[in-house]
This record gives sequence, structure tokens and C-alpha cells, in this order.
Amino acid sequence: MNESILVVDDDPEIVGAIAIVLEKEGYPVRRAYNGLEAVDLCLDPAVKLLLIDVMMPKLDGLSALLRIRERRNLPVIVLSAKSEDTDKILGLSMGADDYICKPYNPQELVARVRSQLRRYTSLGDVHAEERSGQIVNGRLSYDPAGRVLRADGETIKLTATECKIVDLFMRNLGQIFPAEEIYRRVWNEDAFSCENTVMVHIRRIREKIELNPKEPDYIKVVWGIGYKMEQHGAEPR
Amino acid sequence: MDTKWNNMEQNPGEALEYFVADRIRETLQEPGEARPGGRGKPVLAFLAFFLGVTLILQSLLAAGAQVLMERDLSPRFVSDWQETDLFREEISSCLRDFLTLGAGGQLDFYDNSYWLEFGPGDFYGTEVEEGTCIIQSEAVGEAASVFGVRPFGSVRKEAVDSGAAPKSQNENEPVPQSKPEVPPDASYQADKNVLYLIIGGEGENRRVYQNTTSSQAFFEQRTNGDYNFYLIFSNGKAQIWKDDVELDVYGSGYYDGDSQWFLPGYDNFPASEQLNGVYVYMAIRANPARYYSVDYQTGQQYFNSNMYYIAQRVNDSRQFYAHQAIWAGAGALLLCVAFALRKYKRLADAKIAVWTRRVWTEVRALILLGMLLLIFLPQSWQSLYWNWQDYWWRYVESGELWIGQLLYGIAAIMGSNFLLTLALIWFFWLLYNDHRYNPKGARRSLLRPFFRGLRAKDLKRPIEKRISRMGALCGLAVAMLELELIFFLVVCSVRYFSLPVWSLWTLFLLPLLIAAALVVRNALRQETIARDLGLLADQVEAVRAGNLSAPLKLPEDADLQTMADSLNDIQAGMKTALAEQTRSERMKVELVSNVSHDLKTPLTSILSYAELLRQEDLPPAAADYARIIDEKAQRLKGMVQDVFEISKAAADQLPVHLERLDLAKLLRQTLADLDGPIQRSALTFKVDLPAEPVMITADGKRLYRIFQNLIDNALRYALDGSRVYLTLTTSGEQADVSVRNTSRTELPEGVDFTARFVRGDASRSDGGSGLGLSIVRSFAEACGGRFRVETVADFFTAVVTFPLSR
Repeated sequence: MNESILVVDDDPEIVGAIAIVLEKEGYPVRRAYNGLEAVDLCLDPAVKLLLIDVMMPKLDGLSALLRIRERRNLPVIVLSAKSEDTDKILGLSMGADDYICKPYNPQELVARVRSQLRRYTSLGDVHAEERSGQIVNGRLSYDPAGRVLRADGETIKLTATECKIVDLFMRNLGQIFPAEEIYRRVWNEDAFSCENTVMVHIRRIREKIELNPKEPDYIKVVWGIGYKMEQHGAEPR
Repeated sequence: MDTKWNNMEQNPGEALEYFVADRIRETLQEPGEARPGGRGKPVLAFLAFFLGVTLILQSLLAAGAQVLMERDLSPRFVSDWQETDLFREEISSCLRDFLTLGAGGQLDFYDNSYWLEFGPGDFYGTEVEEGTCIIQSEAVGEAASVFGVRPFGSVRKEAVDSGAAPKSQNENEPVPQSKPEVPPDASYQADKNVLYLIIGGEGENRRVYQNTTSSQAFFEQRTNGDYNFYLIFSNGKAQIWKDDVELDVYGSGYYDGDSQWFLPGYDNFPASEQLNGVYVYMAIRANPARYYSVDYQTGQQYFNSNMYYIAQRVNDSRQFYAHQAIWAGAGALLLCVAFALRKYKRLADAKIAVWTRRVWTEVRALILLGMLLLIFLPQSWQSLYWNWQDYWWRYVESGELWIGQLLYGIAAIMGSNFLLTLALIWFFWLLYNDHRYNPKGARRSLLRPFFRGLRAKDLKRPIEKRISRMGALCGLAVAMLELELIFFLVVCSVRYFSLPVWSLWTLFLLPLLIAAALVVRNALRQETIARDLGLLADQVEAVRAGNLSAPLKLPEDADLQTMADSLNDIQAGMKTALAEQTRSERMKVELVSNVSHDLKTPLTSILSYAELLRQEDLPPAAADYARIIDEKAQRLKGMVQDVFEISKAAADQLPVHLERLDLAKLLRQTLADLDGPIQRSALTFKVDLPAEPVMITADGKRLYRIFQNLIDNALRYALDGSRVYLTLTTSGEQADVSVRNTSRTELPEGVDFTARFVRGDASRSDGGSGLGLSIVRSFAEACGGRFRVETVADFFTAVVTFPLSR
């Protein structure tokens, strides 16, 4: 048990369930049941990732997170029953790298854990990537010259149309494109009732790059206006 | 300052004190130097100002009046009394008498030549009526008998007449023996200021009159230095020396209004032939003394020194003007003192303004009227009436009224009443001072309610307008009646002064005053009630509009106090109820929030282990059970989330992020997003969306949830194989999105589908939570829209309406 994941929740059954899922995937798991234990256990450098609940006795998850951040730089995923946008924003701003709402989807949980670990352990220097002309957006990095999209360092296979769409989005992070404009730029034709076509392609791209395609983190619909690639912070730190 | 003015309405007095205090502070500039407590200097400054102005004004008024009064006589500012018109007139008069004596009878040339040409009124500015200034022969004979009772001016003339005229009459009618012989120049004898020697007639008829012992004596005395004015009339011409310098008597030789001397000898006023051989020598003393004669029969004294009086008058006049100048100078000095102390004077002014503020406007008007009446009107109503008639006939009817005359009259009257005029001027100063230091609204008036009533249209509330108008009309009617009655009484007093008018006045006065007082009181009261009613109405409106924080405050003794109290109670009750409701609503949300959180934790375990269970290699039956557990737990998860959101929306605590968006595009996106389930269903979607943008302001994510739920609803409950119509229409200022479908099951009637946990199928055997449409309604309302459901038989229509955003 050299490298392990620390799972913290005041409900032992939930810790157990998560441990089973993660161990099935081959990650060793350590357990803690309140914030103080979590802070203690995190001192061990063998802990490579922290999965922590917010509402716990003795010391709540966010306070524990603050204390741990003072000493260590490791990926942290917050797991909470609070599902409001404001709660997510609070968690992420306190230093969490990701936020998963309870009740969680086990596959999604595993995918997020894997994503975080890959980015922290196996990926090279993000800044070096940026210097080499790549566009980095959270888990994604895009090489405009070679038209290569990577998620967590893994090259994503895209069709020509998907690639054009990704190219448009990655070059214009955060910018909203109406479906007509996407159609015009990608297909080079005047658009007419193109919403479905564009949506079909976006859905496919999502399935390739998103951890949970039903609740996408990257390509988002701006309802009544268009579509955009959400801009994420330059993680990891 | 502004806030203080706002206070005015409640407490004008207090605000005024502030105002005055402010003014005082501004005036003093150096704070703390002279507090209002130090009275000496302000009093001194004001006294200096008052006395200075009074002295200057009184000198100006007195001098002005004097100037106007002496207009006829014009001795003003002439140091030498012999240079006055008065003197020349007297000389002229004497000469006329002397010539008459010399000619031995009536002279007709004054009548014939002069009067015909110039008519009455131009005799050195004196108004002379024909027949009075010329010596009348009718008076002859009787003159002596009335000698003792006539004032000396006429005595002299009549004495002359009685001496001059008797020639023809004495022959027919001998003079009664009882009467002593009176020389014709008797009235001139005593006055040695005028020495005269009159020679006329020939031979037997030669007449010599003189008031010296002899002709010799005349010429001796004339030259002894006392007499500096010398006149010789001979050969129809007059020559005059003054201080041994001969004067130019006739000027151009043609008599007109500007000629100095009214003497025979002009071209248009020649001496008549009667004067041939008449010589008159006159010498006038430079400094006249006072002479008098005594009637030894009656023992009366007659002062015959006209010249003395003229000289005295000129001297007096000079002294008078000198005194006035001294007074004015003293006044100016005092004004200088007042100027030096002007800071303190302003203090005093402000203090006076505080006193005068209390005086009602009507009282001011009455005082003003009274002063004007006292100054300008004669003493009694009757003489007023007659004077007015006289004035009317003389000036207005004859068309001789001219402004100068009018102004002269006014000035003369004011000058003669200068004490009252001074008082009037000071009264005006008080008014000005009051105007300067007192704010406009602070003035007190009895008539103000009426004026306010007449200005009713400025009031904002209809009820106030009506009441105010009613009061004003009533007051107006009473006021008119009273005025008419007073007018009637005045006319009675003036016209029929024999009637017992004063008892009429006393009879009517009391009821009149009572009626006036009642009307005023009524108007004030009505105004108060109208105002309170208006406030009450406003408050009712405010409470209706939801303002529960500010209670209505009426004065303690207001008639509507109980109503106001009741309204305040209602308001307070509503406030409490609302607070209670808000509190319970918040508690409900907290409860639901906590419950949903508490539900989520075990649900997480259930879902996790159900998932793990499904991954185990289980017997088919057990695997099926695990699947069911997983599915129901998933549904429970959805419901927990829905309940949480719906309760937040119901408590107005749903966060919404409003932005301008295209509703048509949003619907297309939603349809594209739900394309999979739609394609998989057995339904046909008939979509009718406008190509152009339909802009509204809403929260995109919530709108997506709305239409997702509506489409889900259709997919779940529509009859297989039927069509679902989704249309977006705009009408006027709003956009309507309707989703219409035919229900698979029979729709119950009278059910509110948008209520929570309501479903078309009461048995709840399907997969829905019953919260879908409820969420739609909550979210639509949170975004500023509306949602309604219509059912006709099995046809189900859901309509979402949003206002268009321009």
C-alpha cells in the first residue's frame, strides 16, 4: 500500500461502498470517519488523493481541506449531499479539485478519481505544454497545429466534423456560438434548422471527453443562446 | 435648512425660532460675540435708526408741506421779503387803493381793461372771483356801520370805499350825524411801514392824503434811511426805486402772467384818464414794525401792519426751513450711528419680526385702512359724502381733474397730517421687515382657509377637493352677505344720517362677527377633517399596496383618531400575520432542505450497494430484485431533488440567473437535447416555432427544466401514436408556448394539475412523481412568467407565458 486514496465520510457504509468500487479498479484505499482523522492521515505522503465528505462531526470537510492544503498539495475531490451551484462553487473555491454530489454515480466517481490521479501523477508540466503552443483547458489539452485533443493525457479519437467543432471551441474558450454559426463554420454551408445536427455531434463529442456526459463539464448548452466550451482554471497547480 | 422647512407644517412657531436664530447667527458672523441675551446694543441701534429716520422724514414732510402750502405766496427761500410775490401783491393792492383815493372814486379800469383780457384766476396765482377783489360801491355807506365787525383786510377796503365814494351820494343822502367822520384813508393812517402821499384833483377838488404830518415830513422821513423802497406814480406810470436803484417795472411793457408788478401803465393795462393829475408817493420801511390802530368807540385794536406780517412771515419761513435742516442733520447723524451698529440693528429687526409675525393679515389690512382713512378722509361720514360730491362736481364733471392737482392734493394732505404719515411709513417698514425675516408660510391669516379652498385643484385627493370646495363656497356666500349688509349700513349712515343708524350697527355687528367667526372656524375644521380623511385614504391605499411598516399618525384630538387607530391595528395585525407566514415558510424550506439532505445520505448508500449488488453474480431472481431496488432508489433520488427545488421556489428562494435569450432557439435546443427519447417514443411531435428570435428575459437553465418537464410529461402520458403539438406564438407583449397532447387515460375534471403530487391517474401507479407540472409552474413564476393547464375532454394543453423583452 504505497500509493493510496483516502476516503473520508462519517457514514461507514458509504466509505465501504466507495472503497469497494475503487479497490476493484485497483486503487488502495485508506478510510477515515471525520475531519480530524483525515487531517492526520493526510500527513502520510503515501496518500495520493483525498475523497472527502463535507458534513462530518468534529471537523467538517471544508475546514479539514483548508488545514490539509496548508501542508500538502494533493488532488481533493469533495463528495457532498449539497447539490446547489453555490455549494459547488464554495467547495471549489476552498481548494477542492472536483465536486461530486451525493448520491453519486459509481462510474462517474471512478472516472473522476482516475482523471485527477492521471493529471497529478503521470502528466508532465502543464506550463511546458502551454509553452509548446498547446491550449490547455482543465483536463483537456489541444494541439492546434496537429489538431490533437487529449483528455487527461489520452488522445481522443475524433471524426473530421467533431474535430472541426472541437477546434472552434478550443480556440475560443468561453465564447458562445449559436448553432447556426457552428454549422456555418464547420460545414461551410448556410444553416437551416441545424440545431439537431449540431446537437448530435456535440453529444458525441461529450461522450468522448466528458466524465459524465449527462452532466457535462466542458461543452455546455447556453439555453436560448448557443453552445460554449466552459473555461476551466489552469489545473493542476 | 430644508428639513426645518419641512417641520413648518407641524410646528411653524418652533421652526421659525430656528429660522430667526439662523438669521441672527448669519448676521453676527462672529459666533458667540453678542448673544441675543445682550439687549443694550440692539435696542440702541434700533432707537438710533428709528429716531434718525423719523427726524429726516418729519423734516422732509414738514418742509414739503410748507412748500406746497406756500405755493400761492411763495416767500420760500427768499431772504429779502421785498422780493416776494406777497410783497408785490401788497404794493399793488396799496397802489390801487391809493389811486382810488387820488382819483376820488371808483376806478373802472381794473374791471374794464384787465379782467376782460385775462379773466379770473391769474391774478398772481390767487384765485379771484369777479366782483370781490374790485372795490364795490354797494358797500358804501354801510361800511362804516359794520366797521367794527369786519376783519381788518376788508375793513381797510371799505374804509377806502366809504371815503372815496361818497361824493355823489353825500349830496343826496347826508351822512348820519351819529357817525363820526372817518377819513377815507383811515385804515392806512396808523401803519407807518407804508408812508404815502397822495395828491389828486384840481382846485377845490384837490385831495391830499398822507400819513405823515406833512408833505415835507414825507420826503424827510423817506430819505432818513429806514425806508429803502420808493414808488412814484405819476402821469399814468409807476417808477420804483429799491435801495436807490430804479427797478424795471413794466418789462416788455405788455402785461402777462409772468410780469412782476400788477400796476397800471402797461400797454394792455393803461392807466385811465381818471388818473390824470393823480400822484402817489409811497415809501416802504426796510424793516417793518408792528403798528395798530384803536377804535375808540368800541375799544377794539386793529393791527394794520400788513408789511410787518409779510416780513415776519418770510423770516419765519426762513427760520422754519433752517430748523428742519437742523433736524434732518441730526437724523442723518443718528442714521450714521445706526449704520455703525447695523449688526445689532438687524438683530433687533429680527426680534421685531418675531413679534409682528403674530399679527393676523386681516388686522394688518385693517390698521392700514384705518390709517389711510385718518390721513385722507375728513372727520365725519357726512362731510366725506359732501366733500366727495363737491369734488365730483368741481373736478370730475367739469373735466378739470388733472394728475398734478391730484398729487398736489395727496401730498398736501399727507404733509398736513405728517404725524400720521410718519406712522404710516413706519407701518410699511414693519410690513417690509416682517416680509424680510418671516418665511412666507408663517404668516397668519383668517382668510387662508378660503384661499386654500379656492385653490382646491392643487390638492391631490378628490375627497379633499370636494370638502375644500364646499367650505370655500359656504364661506364665500356668508362673506358676500356680510359685505352686502355692511355696505347697506354704510350707505344708510352716509345718506340717512338722521336715522338711528348707530343702533342698527350695534344690532347687526354682533351677529355679523359671530357668523364670520363661525364660518372661519368651520372652514378650519373642515380643512383639518379633509386633510385627515385624505391621509386616511392614502394609508388605506398604502396598506392595500403592502406597506405595513408606517402607521398613520394623526393629531391626538383628531375626529378620525379612532378610525386611524383601527386602521393601524389592522395594519399591525397584517404585519404580524405576514411575519408569521414568512417565518413558517422559511422554516418549511429549512425543514425540506434538511430532510432532503438527510434522505440523500442513506439514499447514497442504497444506490451504492444496489449498484454493487448488480455487479455480483446473482441468481436471476435476486438480480431482478437488485434491479428493482436500484430503479426505485433512482426515482427516489429524483423526487428528493424535485421536492427540494419546488419548496425553495415556493418560498421565493430559488436562485435565478436572468438574461435575455431567444425562446424559439431555447425550444429548438431543448428538442434537440431530448431528441433521443422523442425518437424512441411512439409519438409524433408537431413543432411550430417562428424563424425569427423571440426575445424574453429569463433563466435559461430553469426554462430548459420547464420544457423538459413538459415534453417528458407528454412522452409519459400521451396516447401512443398520437401527435404532440408544440407551438410558440407571440401576441402583443407576450410569448406563449403551448404543448398539447391527447391523454392516454381519462383526465379527471376539476383537478389542478399544477398542484404538488397531483397526477392525472389518482392511483399513482406510473413512474411520475407528480411534481413535474408543479416544478414547471414554480420555475415559470420564479422567472417572471406564468403557467396554466387547460383540459378539454382528454385533450391536455399546457401553456407557458412570458412577457417579451424589447
